[in-house]
Amino acid sequence: MTEPSILVHASKPKGYGRGSFRKLPNKYKLFLMAFPFLVTTFIFFYLPISGWIYAFYDFTPGIPLSDTPYVGLKWFKSIAQNHTQMEEVLRVMKNTVAMSALGIVTSVFPVIFAILLSEIRTPWYRKFVQTLTTIPNFISWILVYALAFTLFSVDNGVVNTILIKLGFIDEGINFLATNSNVWLTMIAWYWWKSLGWGAILYLAAITGIDQELYEAADVDGASRFRKIWHITVPGIIPTFFVLLILSIGNFINNGVDQYFAFQNAMNKDSIEVLDLYVYNIAFANNFPFATAVSMLKSLISIFLLFTANSMSKLIRGESII
Amino acid sequence: MRKKKSPKDVAFHAINYALFGIFTLSCIYPFYYLFINTISSNDLSAAGYITFYPREIHFDNYVNVLKISGLAHAAYVSLYRTVVGTLLTVGASAFLGYLFTKKEMWLRRLWYRMLIVTMYFSAGLIPWYITMNNLGLTNNYLAYVLPTIITPFNIILVKTFIEGIPPSLEESAEIDGAGYTKIFRSIIVPLITPILATITIFSAVNQWNSFIDTAFLMTDTKYYTLQFLLWRYLNESSSLAALIRNSQDMAASVQHMQTPGSVRMTVTMIVVLPILIIYPFFQRFFVKGILIGAVKG
Amino acid sequence: MRLKRTLILMLAIMIVVVMAACSKGNNGAKESAPSTESTASDSSPSASDNPSDSASESPSSTGLDHSQTLKLSVFSTTANYAGPQIGWFAKAIKDKFNIELDIVSSNLTGGDTKIAAMMASGNLGDIVIWGDDKNNYPNAIKGGLLLDLTKDGLLDDYGKDIMATYPKAIEKAKIAFGGGSSVYGIGNNVASNPSGPSEGKDMTWGPDLRWDLYQKVGSPDINSPTDYLPVLKKMQELEPKNSQGKKTYAFSLWSDWDGNYKMTLAKQFANMYGYDEIVDTALYTKADEEKYYDFLSEESWYMKSLKLYFDANQMGLLDPDSLTQKFDDVVAKYKDGRLLFSWFPWLGAANYNTPENIAAGKGFATVPFKEEVMYSTGFNVYGGNGIISIGAKAKDPKRIMEFINWMYTPEGAMLSAGSGTAVPNGPKGLTWDLDAGGKPFVTDFGLKAYADQQNTKLPEEFGGGDYYYGANQMNFSFVVPAEVNPQTGEPYDHNLWESSIKRNPNAIESSWREKYDALTAKDYFVKNNKIAVAPQGFTGKEPLVMDKTLEQKNKLIGTVIQQYSWKLVYAKNEEQYNKLKQEMLDKVKGLGYDEVMAFSIKKAEELFEARKSVK
Repeated sequence: MTEPSILVHASKPKGYGRGSFRKLPNKYKLFLMAFPFLVTTFIFFYLPISGWIYAFYDFTPGIPLSDTPYVGLKWFKSIAQNHTQMEEVLRVMKNTVAMSALGIVTSVFPVIFAILLSEIRTPWYRKFVQTLTTIPNFISWILVYALAFTLFSVDNGVVNTILIKLGFIDEGINFLATNSNVWLTMIAWYWWKSLGWGAILYLAAITGIDQELYEAADVDGASRFRKIWHITVPGIIPTFFVLLILSIGNFINNGVDQYFAFQNAMNKDSIEVLDLYVYNIAFANNFPFATAVSMLKSLISIFLLFTANSMSKLIRGESII
Repeated sequence: MRKKKSPKDVAFHAINYALFGIFTLSCIYPFYYLFINTISSNDLSAAGYITFYPREIHFDNYVNVLKISGLAHAAYVSLYRTVVGTLLTVGASAFLGYLFTKKEMWLRRLWYRMLIVTMYFSAGLIPWYITMNNLGLTNNYLAYVLPTIITPFNIILVKTFIEGIPPSLEESAEIDGAGYTKIFRSIIVPLITPILATITIFSAVNQWNSFIDTAFLMTDTKYYTLQFLLWRYLNESSSLAALIRNSQDMAASVQHMQTPGSVRMTVTMIVVLPILIIYPFFQRFFVKGILIGAVKG
Repeated sequence: MRLKRTLILMLAIMIVVVMAACSKGNNGAKESAPSTESTASDSSPSASDNPSDSASESPSSTGLDHSQTLKLSVFSTTANYAGPQIGWFAKAIKDKFNIELDIVSSNLTGGDTKIAAMMASGNLGDIVIWGDDKNNYPNAIKGGLLLDLTKDGLLDDYGKDIMATYPKAIEKAKIAFGGGSSVYGIGNNVASNPSGPSEGKDMTWGPDLRWDLYQKVGSPDINSPTDYLPVLKKMQELEPKNSQGKKTYAFSLWSDWDGNYKMTLAKQFANMYGYDEIVDTALYTKADEEKYYDFLSEESWYMKSLKLYFDANQMGLLDPDSLTQKFDDVVAKYKDGRLLFSWFPWLGAANYNTPENIAAGKGFATVPFKEEVMYSTGFNVYGGNGIISIGAKAKDPKRIMEFINWMYTPEGAMLSAGSGTAVPNGPKGLTWDLDAGGKPFVTDFGLKAYADQQNTKLPEEFGGGDYYYGANQMNFSFVVPAEVNPQTGEPYDHNLWESSIKRNPNAIESSWREKYDALTAKDYFVKNNKIAVAPQGFTGKEPLVMDKTLEQKNKLIGTVIQQYSWKLVYAKNEEQYNKLKQEMLDKVKGLGYDEVMAFSIKKAEELFEARKSVK
C-alpha cells in the first residue's frame, strides 16, 4: 500500500518531522492521515457544487455569469406554476414513490440470492451461476428493451406466437403498451438485470463470517435454516442496513435509462418517474432549470438520508453514518 | 457434509439448484441472443428473424469494429486507467475506511458525513467540466484516475466490513504498540480481502466502462479509451440513421452500413466478454472460510 | 493549544492550496490554448516534406502564403464523423489550400451538453458549424466566441465570391445576428435565385404505394388521403403476407422521432396540402399564402391524420407494434416487404426498391392524390438556418476565410454541394466529368460510388479510402445543390443533370412515367401546378424566440399532445376516441395552450412578413 508514504510526504512540507508526528495525540494523528483524502474530496466533489449558482440565473453556457440576469427562485417555482402542472408533478411523484418503495421492499432479493447461492456445494456450479447471472447488468437498457420487443411484440413476438399456437389467445396482446402492472413489470426487469451483480456485496459479507460459528452449530446439530437465520443473516445485516439507508437517501432518484427505454404513450402515466419527467421536459437545453431540480433533489436526498439514519438510531440503537 | 443427507436436504438442494439453473438460463439467453444476432445477416436481424439460431452467418460486424483506427492504443489507455485507477481507489478506500472506524479521530463524524453526502450531490456536467478544466485536467491522464480516488461508496463498504470483524484481533495488536499504519497493513488488510475484492471488481468495471470523461475532457486522440471509441462508433451509426431521414439518395447509398441495432449489439458483446473472462478469477476471494483461515494460519 | 492552532493553520493552508490549484488551473487553461497552436506548428515541418508546389499552383488571387500546412479544428454540431478529414475531400483541399481538417463532432461525443461544455470553455476551435441559428449560435456571439468576419477586411479581401454571389446572406447575417454591421457566420444551402422549388429530383413527401399492387387493384383514383384506406385494404388482401409468411400492413408508425412536440407521422399529410408547421408551436401555415390554422382544430390535418390512423387500425391496416417499435424496426419492415404505404420517397422506395425487387417487378412509387398540393421549400437567397463561423481564437483567419469562400464557388460546389443531405458529386475526372458540350455527366465509376458509398474504394491519386468517408465530413451544405451552376447551366446536384434523368429507367419508373406523363415526381408536381413553394425570406429583424418560462410550458404541452395522439390512434372505438380527444384539449388548455397560441400567431406573422422580402 502506498498511501502511508503519500501521507508522510503531504505532512512533511508543513513542518512536521516524523518525531513531532509521533508525539501528536491520536485524534489529530488520525485526522492528519485522513487529511489529504479530505482535500481530494473537497476538490472533486465540493468545487463543482459551485455550479448550483446557475439555478438562480438565466444561465446560458458561453456567456459569463456576470452578464446574466439574476432571477432568484424563478426556476424553482417553475416546477409547479399552475394547477395542471401541479397535478402532473403529483402523478409523477406517485410513480416515484411507488417505484422506490417497491425497490426498497424488494431489496432483500439479492440477500436471499446470496444466501441460497452460498448453500450450493458444487464449486463449479456456484461459479457458473455467479458469473453468468452478472451478464444482464452489462446490457444497456436500450438493448434490454430491444430484447423485450423481440419477445413480446404483438406481431411475431415469441411469447405471443407461442400463446396463440397453444390456443390461449386468439389475437396478440401488446404486453409493452399497457398501463396495468407497469410498476411490477418495471421492478421485475430491474431485478432480472441487477440481481446477480447486486448479490456480490452480500457474497463478500458472507465470506467474512467466522467459519467456527458454523462448525460449532454443526456440533450442536442445528438445522440448515437455523444456521442461516442465526449465523448468516446476522453476518449480512450490517451491510444490508447500510445499503438500505443509502437507498432511502436515493428515494427520489430512480434514474432515467430504464424508464426511458420502456416508456410509451400508453404506459407513460404510470412509468414517468421524477427523473424521467425532468428529462422529458428539460431536454431542450434548459440548464438553469435542470440545475434547480438537481439542487433540490440533492437537498431532499440528504434530508432523507439523515432522517433514515436517525430512525435507524432510534430503532436499532446504532446509526450508520 | 459428513452426515447422511436427509430427504428434506435433498429436496432443498434440488429446488435450489433448479431455481438457480432457470435464472441463469434467463441471463444467458440475452447474451446468446446478442451473439447470434451479431453474426447473422443484419437485415434478417433487424427484421426480427433471429431468435434462437443464427442465419446467413457473417462476421462483418466484428471486422468493422476492428477497423476503427487507434483501437490498439485505446485499449492500452483503457488498461492503464483500469489498473492504476483501481489500485488507487482500492488503496485509498481501504485506508480511509479503516481510519473512519477509529472513534477517536478529530471530528470524525463530521468528515465522514461530509464524505457520504457527496454521493447525493450533482451539479451537472457543465460545472464539473469547468472545474476539471480549471484544474488542468483536460488532455491529461490524471483526469482518469484522480477523481475516482475517493469513492464514498467503497469507503462505506470497507468501514462496515471492518466493524464486523471481531475487535479482539485488532486490540491485541494495539497493546503491542503497533501504529495505525502498521495495524492497517498487517492485520486489517488481510482480514478485509473479500470486500477489497468486491470493490476492486466494482472499480475496475467502472473504469473499464467509462467514456463520458473522455468525451468531455479529451480532445487529443492519444487519450482516447476503448470504450470511448466504441461509444463514438455507436453514435456514428445512429446519427447516420438520423441523417438519411430526408434523402432517398443517401438512404439508398449507405444501406450497406451496419444498422444502429447491429452495432449496439456488437459493441455490447465486446464490452461484456472481458468482464466475463476476468470475473471468475476474483471469485476465489468469495469462498466461505478462506478468510479466517488465512489470518489464523 | 499549540496543536489546535497548528490544525487551524493547516485548514487555512488547505484552502490556500485549493485556491492555488484553481488559479493555477486557470493559467493552465490559458496556456493550453497556445500549446495547441504549437503542436500545429510542430507538425508544419512535416509539410515541407510535401513540396509546397501545391500552394503555388493555387489559382487564388488572394496572395496568401500556403507553404505552411494549416491544421484546422472544426467544431461541428452536425457532423457524424470525428477525427481528421480523410479521402478525396481531404486531398482536394490539401492540394489547393494546404489545409487539413480535424473534426470535432458534438453529435458523437455528448450532444447538447458537449456544445455547452465547449461554449463554457470559451474556445470553439477554428471553424464552427451550427446546425441551426437558435440558442447556441446567438449565445456564442454574445459570449464573444466567434470572429467578426468584417474585421480586418476578412470578407472584403478573402470572401469576395460570397460577397458577390450571395450578398443577401451577408445582409441577413448583419441584421439578424450582427447588430447591423458585423458578420459572425454565413448560412447554409444558399441560393442566388429566389423562385421555384429547391428540392432534388424527389420531393420530400409522396405518398408512395407499392406500385405493383396498386396496379393490380386497378390503380383507382384517389382524391384525398382517406381514399387510400380502401385501396390499401384491397392491396393488403392481395398480398396478406410477405415472402417469409409475415403479415403485411399499410402503415407502420414509430415513436422515437417524436421529440418535436407532435406525433411525427401525423404531421405529414398537412405538408401534402401545402401547409407546414412552425416548429414547436401550435400553428400550421400555408406555404404560399397568408393562411394558418390551429393544429388541434377540427380542420387541421394533424387531427384528421390521427383519425385516419385510427380508422386504419380498425380496418387492420395499422401495424399493432407501431407504438412500441423504433424507426429501425420500421426500416427493416420496409426492406422485408411488409409495408404497402410510405409517406416519403426516401423511406419506402429507398429501402424496398432493390435491384432484386425491381427485377421481380415490385417497388414503391409516388401515387399522388387529387387534392394534393405539395409543400416545397423555395430557394433561399438569405441562406438556411445552418451557420458556418470562424472561432474567435482561430489561427490564420485569412486562410480560413479564403477556404470557406471557395466552398461557395462553383468549383467548391461541384465538388461537395449537398454534403450531409445528399450524395456529393466528388472529384471531377473520377466520379463525373464534362462532355464535349460542357455538360456534366456521371461516369460509370461515379454511378457505382453514388449507389454504394461505403464499399467503393477510390484510387490513391484521388486520396484513397472509400467514397463515404472521403466526403466532406463537416456536414455543412454551403450552396443548395439544386442551384444552377453558371458554368454548366445545369444544377450542381448530379441527380438533376439531364444526362442522369434520361439514363435508362427501370420497369417501375417507365410505367410510372407513362401514367403520370412526367419524368420525376418533382416534374409531375411542377407541371400540374400541384406545388406550393414557400418563399424563404427574412424580416430584417432579430427572430422572435419564446422566453424560457413559456418554452418550458410549451415543452410540457408537447409531451401531453404526443401522448394523447398515440392514445387516439389506438382508441378502442369512436366513443373512446372522442373522450380522449376532449381530455387532451382540456389538459393542454390547463397547461397554457392559449399563451402558446398567442406566441404562435406572432411567429406566423413574422414568417409572412419575411416572405414579403423575396416577393
